Amino acid sequence: MIRVLASHGVAFRQVSKRFGSVQALRPLDLDVLPGEFLTLLGPSGSGKTTLLNIAAGFLDPDGGRFLIGDRDVTALPPRSRNIGMVFQNYALFPHMDVFENVAYGLRVRGVSASDLRQRVEAALAMVRLDELGGRGIHQLSGGQQQRVALARAMVIEPDLLLMDEPLGALDRQLRKHVQLEIRRLHVEEPRTTIYVTHDQEEALVMSDRVAIMRDGRIEQIATPAALYENPANAYVATFLGESNLLPVQVLGTEGEQTAFSLEGYDGIHHLPRAGTDVPPGPALLLARPETIRVAELDAPGIGAMVEETVYLGELTATRIRLARGQQIWMRAMNAPPRAVGSEIRIKWDPVKARLLASEPTE
Amino acid sequence: MTAQGATSQGDSALTGPARNQSTARALMTIGLLAPALLFLAAWFLWPLVQLLMLSFSAPEGTFSAYVALMESSVFRAVFLNTLQLALFVTVICTLLAYPAAWLLTRVRGFWFSLALYCVLVPFWISVLVRTFSWMLLLERNGPVNNFLIRIGATDQPLRLLFNDFGVSLGMVHVLLPYAILPVYAAMLKVDSRLLQASDGLGASGRTTFMRVFLPLTLPGVWAGAAFVFLLALGFFITPALLGGPRNLTAAMLIDSFVNERLVWPMAAAASFILLFIVLVVLLVVSRFVALGQMVLAK
Amino acid sequence: MTGQTQSRAVVAQVAGAVVLAFLVMPIFAVVPASLNDASFIKIPPETYSTRWYTQFFDDATWVSALLNSIKVALLATGFSVVLGTSAALGIERLPGTLRSLAVGLVLAPLIVPVIMISISLYYVTRSFGLYGTTIGLALSHSLLCLPFVVLNVGVSLKRLDLNLVRAAEGLGAGPWRVFRTITLPAIFPGLAGGGAFAFVTSFDEVVISIFIAGYGAKTLPVKLWEQIRVEFTPVAAVGSTVILGLTVIVFILARWSAAASNRPASGRDT
Repeated sequence: MIRVLASHGVAFRQVSKRFGSVQALRPLDLDVLPGEFLTLLGPSGSGKTTLLNIAAGFLDPDGGRFLIGDRDVTALPPRSRNIGMVFQNYALFPHMDVFENVAYGLRVRGVSASDLRQRVEAALAMVRLDELGGRGIHQLSGGQQQRVALARAMVIEPDLLLMDEPLGALDRQLRKHVQLEIRRLHVEEPRTTIYVTHDQEEALVMSDRVAIMRDGRIEQIATPAALYENPANAYVATFLGESNLLPVQVLGTEGEQTAFSLEGYDGIHHLPRAGTDVPPGPALLLARPETIRVAELDAPGIGAMVEETVYLGELTATRIRLARGQQIWMRAMNAPPRAVGSEIRIKWDPVKARLLASEPTE
Repeated sequence: MTAQGATSQGDSALTGPARNQSTARALMTIGLLAPALLFLAAWFLWPLVQLLMLSFSAPEGTFSAYVALMESSVFRAVFLNTLQLALFVTVICTLLAYPAAWLLTRVRGFWFSLALYCVLVPFWISVLVRTFSWMLLLERNGPVNNFLIRIGATDQPLRLLFNDFGVSLGMVHVLLPYAILPVYAAMLKVDSRLLQASDGLGASGRTTFMRVFLPLTLPGVWAGAAFVFLLALGFFITPALLGGPRNLTAAMLIDSFVNERLVWPMAAAASFILLFIVLVVLLVVSRFVALGQMVLAK
Repeated sequence: MTGQTQSRAVVAQVAGAVVLAFLVMPIFAVVPASLNDASFIKIPPETYSTRWYTQFFDDATWVSALLNSIKVALLATGFSVVLGTSAALGIERLPGTLRSLAVGLVLAPLIVPVIMISISLYYVTRSFGLYGTTIGLALSHSLLCLPFVVLNVGVSLKRLDLNLVRAAEGLGAGPWRVFRTITLPAIFPGLAGGGAFAFVTSFDEVVISIFIAGYGAKTLPVKLWEQIRVEFTPVAAVGSTVILGLTVIVFILARWSAAASNRPASGRDT
């Protein structure tokens, strides 16, 4: 079994995989930095689980390589890669108690009895299950079982931690609780981690970086904040958080600004150029609900009518119909509720709004 | 190799090492299967091949054994008798199996275990023991005759053994569990909501049975019947012990070819003719019934 | 249900019960027959005695037949369990069509008429000097035992969560360790059930044994067969009862251990 120094990064180089006629992964490259918590986020069929299984060694890629640190491990079976895996259905060994489950990987490695006991107890303490070593796994709740699975994966000090939608079987409250636990553990002992989920909220809470996947490709990989504020395309924009997308016509760049007109409306608008320019032609304006404001009486704005207001506690969400028929949402804190049917004029925050390339909707 | 993404390196070089894992897995699979498959090849297939060659080795000519059998009226009669017997036994078993299987679905707890054991225990017990017990029961001075005489159904002991009756009774008894289990399995699968729906639509009990329950359980019935028929075709012990001189079955004939008349080519040829019939029936049935469920009923 | 349907249902249930009773009762005819004091068969016996049991266990030919049966059955069971478990593990890894073919081959000895298997083995074992040997007979019985082991283990194997194996592999376990610590405990019920059925199948087996047991490996069913064709004696009834008794004991043991190992489902089966 190879033993690389702890906290090596991992890398996928041109990894591709096909199942029959389905291309699950197009050749892709991905680097995970040492000690980084990277989440693969996407719907089912996006290839995220396939990528994870290739990292684990349960699947052979059709092409490409996978490296842990500097070593090409593509040809190595899972048992030689020194990985820790956590599954959605916990996969705890039913005929062993909690202690034996956590100790399994250490026994395989021939750790001495006293060392073993110490490390298992430390691992259980780390996930806050100190006194439960002797319990049978059937006596534990779902959340406890998942924490045992975590302890089992981490006690062997793996070079790479892999988690496949581990919280999918837990109810909402518990999920949030365990998310924070995992985050805490990661902060205490940063370990290169690849985490797979389809829950965008989870991805945002836990990750250093998130890779959004679709149809076997990585659409964008960035920190949660960067993804939210500067999505690369409409898919990413709609995948993370609420969004309003309005069709526009980009006219061209004028100095530091891009000029565009809203489809079906008069007037030319401007936005500061941010990152890559969108070429002239049809495009989309991304204006998240919290960036929509009611325009002052004399200031420029788009005419609209209030259709519905939804009270969300500290927020009020308002559904508005624009003059040409598009529906968008507006969110504001402590905003006075608007009467349904009332006519207002709205504008978007020019700092936060973004122009995105037009593409077929998902 | 650098850590940079290498786009131009030949793909064959990159996939080389990765192939080893799947070859290793394939080798392991072969390794796991090899002992059993080699054993079956050596101890099952090879002897049958030898037998096949024997069937063509009659001194009178390659096919003379087959020809002799086809032309022999005795042989034709024996085969016909075997088929008739198998068919008769199958029909009886199927008719009896249905209420028995139905009872199994309707009882719970202790009664269910009891009923299930009634089917499973005989299933496990040697065919010789079961056949012998019928011999003991059906003989001239046996309890059945004594009982019949006592209740006045007859004056003289009836000939219940060494005839069609004895053989049929014994075979039905032995084969009944094979008929019951698939039918039971099929009945379990019937969604009771379908029956409720039929009831709710105003159908009478009889209609619900005839038009909903029975058709849904029919695959299990066919599976059981096929199983019984195939087994009955090859029966040796029960007809040999319970039957009379007129109740010769194909298996008994083959036995006599080997042990009494020492005509191996005839024995081999007769075996393959029997096997052929079995395979034909199997093929025909497998188009209508999932054979998997047949074998899982154990 | 209407009254008419209800009474029809009752009639059907009674018919079913009669059929089930018919299935069980006759078998136990051998038990009273073996306990008859007189030297001929009479059911029910007028006086009871166990003297025929003494006779049975004093008779060297009957005892050696019984011992042969046990020996052969143990050999056949051991052989089929090892080969069958290995085969079941291999079959699990095969893709669809190959899997059906492999299962078909394993099950084929159950489809081919046993008389045919018997004479083909008779012919072959005579040539190779395995006629009349315990080993030869045990191997031959294994043909009939193997399918049950493969099926039973296969069913247990299907229930095994693939993620458990992956978890063990991920934690560094090699194939043998995974088998020993994860797979084997999981398939043990299937293995034990298959093994029990294999034992009984071999112990009860009569047709193949008639042809190839010879004198060296004559089993209890064969001796019984020979005896019955000559005359009915209470000793034969004792022999039958011994076979019956052993079968029932193994059956009960198998059911008990199956019930005992029916633990709640592992973790949360998603």
